[in-house]
Amino acid sequence: MTDLFTSIEGSTLAAWVRESPSIWAYATILTLHTVGLAIVVGANVVVDLRLLGWAKGIPTESLRALFPIMWAGFAINFASGVLLFMADATTKSGQRVFYVKLACITLALLAARTISKRLRPQDGEAVPGNLRALATVSLLLWAGAIVAGRLMAYL
Amino acid sequence: MPDLIPFAQWLRATPASEWINRSTWVWPLCESLHFMGLSLLIGITGFFDLRLMGFFRRVSVEAARALMPFALVGFAINIATGLVFLTGLPEQYVSNRVWWFKVGFIVLAGLNAGFYETRLSASVLALDPHGDTPRAAKLVGFVSLVSWFAVLYCGRMLAFIGDAF
Repeated sequence: MTDLFTSIEGSTLAAWVRESPSIWAYATILTLHTVGLAIVVGANVVVDLRLLGWAKGIPTESLRALFPIMWAGFAINFASGVLLFMADATTKSGQRVFYVKLACITLALLAARTISKRLRPQDGEAVPGNLRALATVSLLLWAGAIVAGRLMAYL
Repeated sequence: MPDLIPFAQWLRATPASEWINRSTWVWPLCESLHFMGLSLLIGITGFFDLRLMGFFRRVSVEAARALMPFALVGFAINIATGLVFLTGLPEQYVSNRVWWFKVGFIVLAGLNAGFYETRLSASVLALDPHGDTPRAAKLVGFVSLVSWFAVLYCGRMLAFIGDAF
Protein backbone atom coordinates (compact mmCIF):
# COMPACT_ATOMS: atom_id res chain seq x y z
CA MET A 1 0.00 0.00 0.00
CA THR A 2 2.79 2.40 0.89
CA ASP A 3 4.31 1.87 -2.57
CA LEU A 4 0.96 2.73 -4.15
CA PHE A 5 0.65 5.97 -2.20
CA THR A 6 4.26 6.85 -2.97
CA SER A 7 3.68 6.40 -6.70
CA ILE A 8 0.43 8.42 -6.56
CA GLU A 9 2.25 11.24 -4.80
CA GLY A 10 5.06 11.03 -7.37
CA SER A 11 2.70 11.32 -10.36
CA THR A 12 2.82 14.34 -12.65
CA LEU A 13 -0.70 15.38 -11.67
CA ALA A 14 0.04 15.19 -7.95
CA ALA A 15 3.24 17.17 -8.42
CA TRP A 16 1.35 19.84 -10.37
CA VAL A 17 -1.26 20.21 -7.62
CA ARG A 18 1.43 20.39 -4.95
CA GLU A 19 4.18 22.40 -6.61
CA SER A 20 2.78 24.52 -9.43
CA PRO A 21 3.05 28.24 -8.64
CA SER A 22 -0.15 28.71 -10.66
CA ILE A 23 -3.12 30.11 -8.75
CA TRP A 24 -5.20 27.41 -10.51
CA ALA A 25 -3.34 24.57 -8.80
CA TYR A 26 -3.35 24.03 -5.03
CA ALA A 27 -4.99 27.33 -4.03
CA THR A 28 -7.98 27.02 -6.37
CA ILE A 29 -8.48 23.31 -5.68
CA LEU A 30 -8.47 23.96 -1.93
CA THR A 31 -10.91 26.85 -2.38
CA LEU A 32 -13.23 24.68 -4.51
CA HIS A 33 -13.17 22.13 -1.67
CA THR A 34 -14.50 24.86 0.66
CA VAL A 35 -17.12 25.99 -1.90
CA GLY A 36 -18.34 22.39 -2.17
CA LEU A 37 -18.39 22.08 1.62
CA ALA A 38 -20.63 25.14 1.90
CA ILE A 39 -23.02 23.68 -0.71
CA VAL A 40 -23.13 20.13 0.68
CA VAL A 41 -23.33 21.00 4.37
CA GLY A 42 -25.46 24.09 3.72
CA ALA A 43 -28.11 22.11 1.80
CA ASN A 44 -28.14 19.42 4.48
CA VAL A 45 -28.52 22.02 7.23
CA VAL A 46 -31.67 23.42 5.56
CA VAL A 47 -33.18 19.93 5.22
CA ASP A 48 -32.20 18.84 8.74
CA LEU A 49 -33.45 21.99 10.49
CA ARG A 50 -36.82 21.66 8.72
CA LEU A 51 -37.12 18.02 9.78
CA LEU A 52 -36.27 19.01 13.35
CA GLY A 53 -39.36 21.23 13.37
CA TRP A 54 -38.12 24.66 12.33
CA ALA A 55 -39.68 26.61 9.41
CA LYS A 56 -42.81 24.47 9.34
CA GLY A 57 -44.09 26.55 6.41
CA ILE A 58 -41.64 24.70 4.12
CA PRO A 59 -43.43 21.58 2.76
CA THR A 60 -41.05 18.72 3.61
CA GLU A 61 -41.35 17.02 0.22
CA SER A 62 -40.31 20.28 -1.48
CA LEU A 63 -36.89 19.78 0.13
CA ARG A 64 -36.23 17.10 -2.48
CA ALA A 65 -35.28 19.95 -4.84
CA LEU A 66 -32.21 20.57 -2.67
CA PHE A 67 -30.68 17.14 -3.17
CA PRO A 68 -29.45 17.65 -6.76
CA ILE A 69 -27.66 20.81 -5.50
CA MET A 70 -26.20 18.82 -2.63
CA TRP A 71 -24.92 16.09 -4.98
CA ALA A 72 -23.41 18.71 -7.29
CA GLY A 73 -21.56 20.13 -4.27
CA PHE A 74 -20.43 16.63 -3.38
CA ALA A 75 -19.12 16.06 -6.92
CA ILE A 76 -16.98 19.22 -6.55
CA ASN A 77 -15.64 17.96 -3.23
CA PHE A 78 -15.03 14.42 -4.39
CA ALA A 79 -12.99 15.65 -7.38
CA SER A 80 -11.09 18.33 -5.42
CA GLY A 81 -10.64 15.93 -2.50
CA VAL A 82 -9.06 13.25 -4.71
CA LEU A 83 -6.61 15.82 -6.10
CA LEU A 84 -5.71 17.13 -2.63
CA PHE A 85 -5.20 13.56 -1.42
CA MET A 86 -2.98 12.70 -4.40
CA ALA A 87 -0.76 15.73 -3.73
CA ASP A 88 0.03 14.47 -0.23
CA ALA A 89 -0.93 10.77 -0.39
CA THR A 90 1.74 9.25 1.85
CA THR A 91 1.06 11.65 4.72
CA LYS A 92 -2.74 11.72 4.42
CA SER A 93 -3.07 7.94 4.06
CA GLY A 94 -1.23 7.56 7.35
CA GLN A 95 -3.48 9.94 9.27
CA ARG A 96 -6.13 8.28 11.41
CA VAL A 97 -8.22 11.46 11.41
CA PHE A 98 -8.44 11.22 7.59
CA TYR A 99 -10.30 7.91 7.93
CA VAL A 100 -12.53 9.43 10.60
CA LYS A 101 -13.39 12.17 8.09
CA LEU A 102 -14.14 9.63 5.32
CA ALA A 103 -16.32 7.59 7.69
CA CYS A 104 -18.30 10.70 8.76
CA ILE A 105 -18.86 11.71 5.12
CA THR A 106 -19.90 8.20 4.02
CA LEU A 107 -22.40 7.86 6.86
CA ALA A 108 -23.70 11.42 6.37
CA LEU A 109 -24.28 10.77 2.66
CA LEU A 110 -26.12 7.52 3.48
CA ALA A 111 -28.27 9.50 5.94
CA ALA A 112 -28.96 12.16 3.27
CA ARG A 113 -29.96 9.52 0.72
CA THR A 114 -32.27 7.83 3.23
CA ILE A 115 -33.84 11.18 4.15
CA SER A 116 -34.39 12.11 0.48
CA LYS A 117 -36.22 8.82 -0.12
CA ARG A 118 -38.44 9.20 2.94
CA LEU A 119 -39.65 12.74 2.30
CA ARG A 120 -43.39 12.43 1.69
CA PRO A 121 -46.10 14.98 1.14
CA GLN A 122 -47.52 15.69 4.58
CA ASP A 123 -49.47 18.46 6.22
CA GLY A 124 -46.32 20.01 7.60
CA GLU A 125 -46.86 19.14 11.25
CA ALA A 126 -45.73 15.62 12.01
CA VAL A 127 -42.24 14.60 10.96
CA PRO A 128 -41.80 10.94 12.00
CA GLY A 129 -39.48 10.43 14.98
CA ASN A 130 -36.99 8.30 13.05
CA LEU A 131 -36.64 11.00 10.39
CA ARG A 132 -35.98 13.59 13.12
CA ALA A 133 -33.35 11.29 14.61
CA LEU A 134 -31.73 10.91 11.20
CA ALA A 135 -31.64 14.73 10.84
CA THR A 136 -29.84 15.04 14.18
CA VAL A 137 -27.36 12.32 13.21
CA SER A 138 -26.79 14.09 9.88
CA LEU A 139 -25.94 17.41 11.56
CA LEU A 140 -23.53 15.69 13.97
CA LEU A 141 -21.81 13.74 11.18
CA TRP A 142 -21.26 16.86 9.05
CA ALA A 143 -19.87 18.69 12.08
CA GLY A 144 -17.60 15.69 12.67
CA ALA A 145 -16.44 15.71 9.04
CA ILE A 146 -15.58 19.43 9.31
CA VAL A 147 -13.62 19.02 12.55
CA ALA A 148 -11.78 15.94 11.26
CA GLY A 149 -10.97 17.74 7.99
CA ARG A 150 -9.56 20.73 9.84
CA LEU A 151 -7.54 18.55 12.20
CA MET A 152 -5.80 16.91 9.22
CA ALA A 153 -3.79 20.11 8.95
CA TYR A 154 -2.69 19.89 12.60
CA LEU A 155 -2.30 16.24 13.67
CA MET B 1 -6.93 53.44 3.53
CA PRO B 2 -5.79 54.49 7.03
CA ASP B 3 -2.53 53.04 8.25
CA LEU B 4 -3.59 50.21 10.53
CA ILE B 5 -0.16 48.72 11.08
CA PRO B 6 0.41 50.53 14.44
CA PHE B 7 -2.98 49.25 15.62
CA ALA B 8 -2.13 45.75 14.39
CA GLN B 9 1.20 45.82 16.25
CA TRP B 10 -0.52 47.00 19.41
CA LEU B 11 -3.15 44.24 19.08
CA ARG B 12 -0.48 41.59 18.50
CA ALA B 13 1.21 42.62 21.76
CA THR B 14 -1.94 42.17 23.87
CA PRO B 15 -2.25 39.19 26.25
CA ALA B 16 -5.24 37.94 24.21
CA SER B 17 -3.12 37.71 21.08
CA GLU B 18 -0.32 36.01 23.02
CA TRP B 19 -2.76 33.45 24.37
CA ILE B 20 -4.24 32.70 20.94
CA ASN B 21 -0.77 32.15 19.49
CA ARG B 22 0.52 30.05 22.36
CA SER B 23 -2.48 27.74 22.50
CA THR B 24 -2.38 24.60 20.36
CA TRP B 25 -6.15 24.16 20.21
CA VAL B 26 -7.68 27.68 19.88
CA TRP B 27 -6.82 28.07 16.19
CA PRO B 28 -8.06 24.65 14.93
CA LEU B 29 -11.18 24.90 17.12
CA CYS B 30 -12.03 28.36 15.77
CA GLU B 31 -11.35 27.21 12.19
CA SER B 32 -13.76 24.29 12.64
CA LEU B 33 -16.40 26.64 14.06
CA HIS B 34 -15.74 29.11 11.22
CA PHE B 35 -16.50 26.34 8.68
CA MET B 36 -19.68 25.33 10.52
CA GLY B 37 -20.74 28.97 10.67
CA LEU B 38 -20.19 29.46 6.95
CA SER B 39 -22.22 26.32 6.21
CA LEU B 40 -25.16 27.67 8.24
CA LEU B 41 -24.83 31.13 6.68
CA ILE B 42 -24.40 30.09 3.04
CA GLY B 43 -26.84 27.15 3.21
CA ILE B 44 -29.70 29.14 4.66
CA THR B 45 -29.19 32.47 2.90
CA GLY B 46 -28.46 30.59 -0.35
CA PHE B 47 -31.78 28.77 -0.07
CA PHE B 48 -33.63 32.07 0.42
CA ASP B 49 -31.59 33.76 -2.34
CA LEU B 50 -32.60 31.02 -4.81
CA ARG B 51 -36.26 31.47 -3.81
CA LEU B 52 -35.92 35.24 -4.38
CA MET B 53 -34.48 34.41 -7.80
CA GLY B 54 -37.64 32.45 -8.59
CA PHE B 55 -36.58 28.87 -7.84
CA PHE B 56 -38.33 26.48 -5.38
CA ARG B 57 -41.76 28.07 -5.94
CA ARG B 58 -43.44 25.30 -3.97
CA VAL B 59 -41.91 27.02 -0.94
CA SER B 60 -43.51 30.38 -0.12
CA VAL B 61 -41.15 33.36 0.09
CA GLU B 62 -42.11 33.78 3.74
CA ALA B 63 -41.38 30.13 4.61
CA ALA B 64 -38.05 30.20 2.73
CA ARG B 65 -36.98 33.08 5.00
CA ALA B 66 -38.02 31.35 8.23
CA LEU B 67 -34.61 29.75 8.88
CA MET B 68 -32.82 33.11 8.66
CA PRO B 69 -32.23 33.35 12.46
CA PHE B 70 -29.92 30.32 12.08
CA ALA B 71 -28.03 32.14 9.32
CA LEU B 72 -27.54 35.03 11.75
CA VAL B 73 -26.23 32.54 14.33
CA GLY B 74 -23.76 31.31 11.70
CA PHE B 75 -22.77 34.91 10.93
CA ALA B 76 -22.28 35.67 14.66
CA ILE B 77 -20.10 32.54 15.06
CA ASN B 78 -17.98 33.67 12.12
CA ILE B 79 -17.59 37.25 13.33
CA ALA B 80 -16.52 35.95 16.74
CA THR B 81 -14.07 33.35 15.38
CA GLY B 82 -12.91 35.81 12.72
CA LEU B 83 -12.03 38.30 15.47
CA VAL B 84 -9.96 35.56 17.14
CA PHE B 85 -7.99 35.09 13.90
CA LEU B 86 -7.59 38.85 13.53
CA THR B 87 -6.41 39.20 17.14
CA GLY B 88 -3.96 36.32 16.65
CA LEU B 89 -2.32 37.60 13.45
CA PRO B 90 -3.54 41.19 12.96
CA GLU B 91 -0.78 42.41 10.65
CA GLN B 92 -1.19 39.53 8.22
CA TYR B 93 -4.86 40.40 7.71
CA VAL B 94 -4.88 44.20 7.67
CA SER B 95 -1.95 44.29 5.24
CA ASN B 96 -3.60 41.74 2.92
CA ARG B 97 -5.68 43.34 0.17
CA VAL B 98 -7.70 40.13 -0.39
CA TRP B 99 -8.82 40.30 3.26
CA TRP B 100 -10.11 43.82 2.58
CA PHE B 101 -12.02 42.50 -0.44
CA LYS B 102 -13.55 39.95 1.91
CA VAL B 103 -14.60 42.69 4.34
CA GLY B 104 -16.00 44.66 1.38
CA PHE B 105 -18.14 41.75 0.21
CA ILE B 106 -19.47 41.23 3.76
CA VAL B 107 -20.50 44.91 3.82
CA LEU B 108 -22.07 44.58 0.34
CA ALA B 109 -24.04 41.48 1.42
CA GLY B 110 -25.20 43.34 4.54
CA LEU B 111 -26.33 46.46 2.64
CA ASN B 112 -28.07 44.25 0.07
CA ALA B 113 -29.94 42.36 2.83
CA GLY B 114 -30.79 45.65 4.55
CA PHE B 115 -32.16 47.04 1.29
CA TYR B 116 -34.34 43.95 0.84
CA GLU B 117 -35.68 44.01 4.38
CA THR B 118 -36.49 47.73 4.44
CA ARG B 119 -37.49 48.49 0.85
CA LEU B 120 -38.55 45.32 -0.91
CA SER B 121 -39.72 42.61 1.49
CA ALA B 122 -43.23 44.03 2.09
CA SER B 123 -44.06 44.31 -1.61
CA VAL B 124 -42.69 40.81 -2.37
CA LEU B 125 -44.72 39.28 0.48
CA ALA B 126 -47.86 40.95 -0.90
CA LEU B 127 -47.56 38.92 -4.12
CA ASP B 128 -48.65 35.32 -4.74
CA PRO B 129 -46.50 33.43 -2.19
CA HIS B 130 -45.87 30.61 -4.68
CA GLY B 131 -45.49 32.80 -7.73
CA ASP B 132 -42.56 34.27 -9.60
CA THR B 133 -40.67 37.14 -7.96
CA PRO B 134 -40.16 40.69 -9.29
CA ARG B 135 -36.93 41.52 -11.09
CA ALA B 136 -35.65 43.60 -8.14
CA ALA B 137 -36.02 40.58 -5.81
CA LYS B 138 -34.19 38.37 -8.30
CA LEU B 139 -31.34 40.88 -8.38
CA VAL B 140 -31.17 41.03 -4.57
CA GLY B 141 -31.03 37.22 -4.41
CA PHE B 142 -28.31 37.09 -7.06
CA VAL B 143 -26.20 39.81 -5.40
CA SER B 144 -26.50 38.03 -2.05
CA LEU B 145 -25.50 34.64 -3.47
CA VAL B 146 -22.51 36.07 -5.35
CA SER B 147 -21.42 38.20 -2.36
CA TRP B 148 -21.37 35.34 0.14
CA PHE B 149 -19.47 33.04 -2.19
CA ALA B 150 -17.07 35.92 -2.86
CA VAL B 151 -16.57 36.25 0.92
CA LEU B 152 -15.74 32.54 1.06
CA TYR B 153 -13.46 32.79 -1.98
CA CYS B 154 -11.51 35.75 -0.58
CA GLY B 155 -11.29 34.13 2.85
CA ARG B 156 -9.77 30.96 1.46
CA MET B 157 -7.56 32.66 -1.14
CA LEU B 158 -6.14 35.40 1.06
CA ALA B 159 -3.40 33.03 2.16
CA PHE B 160 -2.31 32.54 -1.46
CA ILE B 161 -2.82 35.88 -3.16
CA GLY B 162 -2.14 39.28 -1.75
CA ASP B 163 0.55 39.03 0.90
CA ALA B 164 0.78 35.38 1.78
CA PHE B 165 0.99 34.02 5.28
